Amino acid sequence: MHAISKIIARHADRDSVEVGEIVNVVPDYVMLNDRGAARAADLMAKMGADKVHNPSQVIVVFDHHYPPIRQQDSVAQKKTREWIKEQGIEKFHAGEGIGHVIFPENGYSFPGALIFGTDSHTVTNSALGCVATGMGHSDIASYLAIGYNWLRVPEVIRFDLHGQFKPGVYAKDIALRIAQLYGEDAAPYLGVEFAGPLVSELPMSERFVLCNMVIDFGAKTGYIQPDDVTRRFMAERAPTRAWTAETTDSDSDYSRIIELDVSEIEPLVAVPHNLSNIKRAADLSNIRVDEAIFGTCTGGRIDDFRVAAAIMRGKKLAPHTRMMINPGSRETYTKALQEGLINIFIEAGATIGVPGCGPCTGCHQGMLAPAENAITNASRNFKGRFGSPEAFAYVASSATVAASAIAGHIVSPSEFLKQ
Amino acid sequence: MHISGSVWVFGENVNTDLIFPKMWFRPTYESGEMASHLMSGIDSEFARRVRRGDIIVGGLNFGCGSSREEAAAAMKEAGIAAVVAPSFGRLFTRNCINVGLPVVTSEKIDQQVVEGDVLEIDLGQGTIKVVRSGYVGRVPPMAPESLKLIQDGGIANYTRRVLEQRRADNRMERQ
Repeated sequence: MHAISKIIARHADRDSVEVGEIVNVVPDYVMLNDRGAARAADLMAKMGADKVHNPSQVIVVFDHHYPPIRQQDSVAQKKTREWIKEQGIEKFHAGEGIGHVIFPENGYSFPGALIFGTDSHTVTNSALGCVATGMGHSDIASYLAIGYNWLRVPEVIRFDLHGQFKPGVYAKDIALRIAQLYGEDAAPYLGVEFAGPLVSELPMSERFVLCNMVIDFGAKTGYIQPDDVTRRFMAERAPTRAWTAETTDSDSDYSRIIELDVSEIEPLVAVPHNLSNIKRAADLSNIRVDEAIFGTCTGGRIDDFRVAAAIMRGKKLAPHTRMMINPGSRETYTKALQEGLINIFIEAGATIGVPGCGPCTGCHQGMLAPAENAITNASRNFKGRFGSPEAFAYVASSATVAASAIAGHIVSPSEFLKQ
Repeated sequence: MHISGSVWVFGENVNTDLIFPKMWFRPTYESGEMASHLMSGIDSEFARRVRRGDIIVGGLNFGCGSSREEAAAAMKEAGIAAVVAPSFGRLFTRNCINVGLPVVTSEKIDQQVVEGDVLEIDLGQGTIKVVRSGYVGRVPPMAPESLKLIQDGGIANYTRRVLEQRRADNRMERQ
């Protein structure tokens, strides 16, 4: 069995499961964001349940619309706060950052865990060697009512990554290369494991980027086999948490194994409006940047801030370019302040927003006008994702976004890193 | 399970941001509200023109992207009889099953239909027929658990039954 199957089996109280089988599972933790909590509470009541089955396993995070900018969100959040109290839910994080960033920071996700959330990017957590997947509001409402969900045991494909990055290339570029080679449906309903010598060298922040992006290849969950990097992360984050990593029995537990040499990858950009429309950053110098959108559950970690600050130090945004920066978490924000990174961004002319999703999905400040171009280190370049449906979004690495904000048009970051 | 209806055709990689744009998100919805915004990211007239019993046909990877259940729920509320495509986004598939909307996979079906065609789907036999051309495609069998959820009207009904059963069991124990 693959480790993913073993994790599912354990949470289904079974010794083993077959690929393709549908089983009922009890997750370790379930994340409800502000939108998810409001909808799931409403749907749970409509399903005839008045009590949350297991409130200690439920974690509510206000990240999409916090602080609220529309009265309807203020009203919904007030109701959710009352509901949380009524239901005895104690793990509640408002304004502390994006659920998928603060889950690992707080030790809510861990190797061998099963994590559900009311958001497609819940897969991000799977970089720790757990199974983590997004669910619909009715799914989560049903979980709240009865304490389990149905789950199909997925086939798993593995990307073996080897070679060395060229300067200016990051995990994000690997993800974009996979989208280019294999399409947005590269891994429908599948588990996607990243392995190989390159992965063992990647810090957790880069591993989170890889696993964050698997949803946009169609995957159910990512997976990275826990190693020393994972163990160090867990020891720092959740020293008292007991966890057991699962291991995969053999190569025959994969439906496909794909070799990918990262040495050939250059800084890439997904151009509007699909993630598989990939071009080289160096070939897009004709694309004017009106706004750089920096942060999100893909690129809002301290390592992203360090990379961007190294490029932007002592420089100014291009006169026609604005930049919206939202830290992925309060912790990212604090560290960036302590390290002087926020000063670098402010002096460059960027606007710093609150920890949270920011303009991604058009939730918060910094939305685009028609015909404007944005470059972002978020995960999606979908039409209308950052405001106007008539705007254009380009998705790239944190380094490419920072460099392009300074240049005022899309550039490869490699030149900036040489300076 | 037999389904037949007239077809609306959409393209490949249609994401849920387009099926139900976020500008229409609300914490709770009035009856008919979700349906009134269906497909408005692509065609603002669609919700007005679609009829109950119609079938939506998409291209590869239909319903990819965000987990927003409104994409599936709006189709169900609009009375869409089935959504058909060569492949679907995972969360969209799951959400369709959970709201009780038949989500039907058939290879290259998007290349066999034009708008207004009538499709006849037989989930038991695993067939899909385009009435105009006589084309018959195959529908791979759906997991029996998923089919049952759809036939029972979705996960809300399932959850209600589990809760009722638990209450009945509790009453038995007390007696």
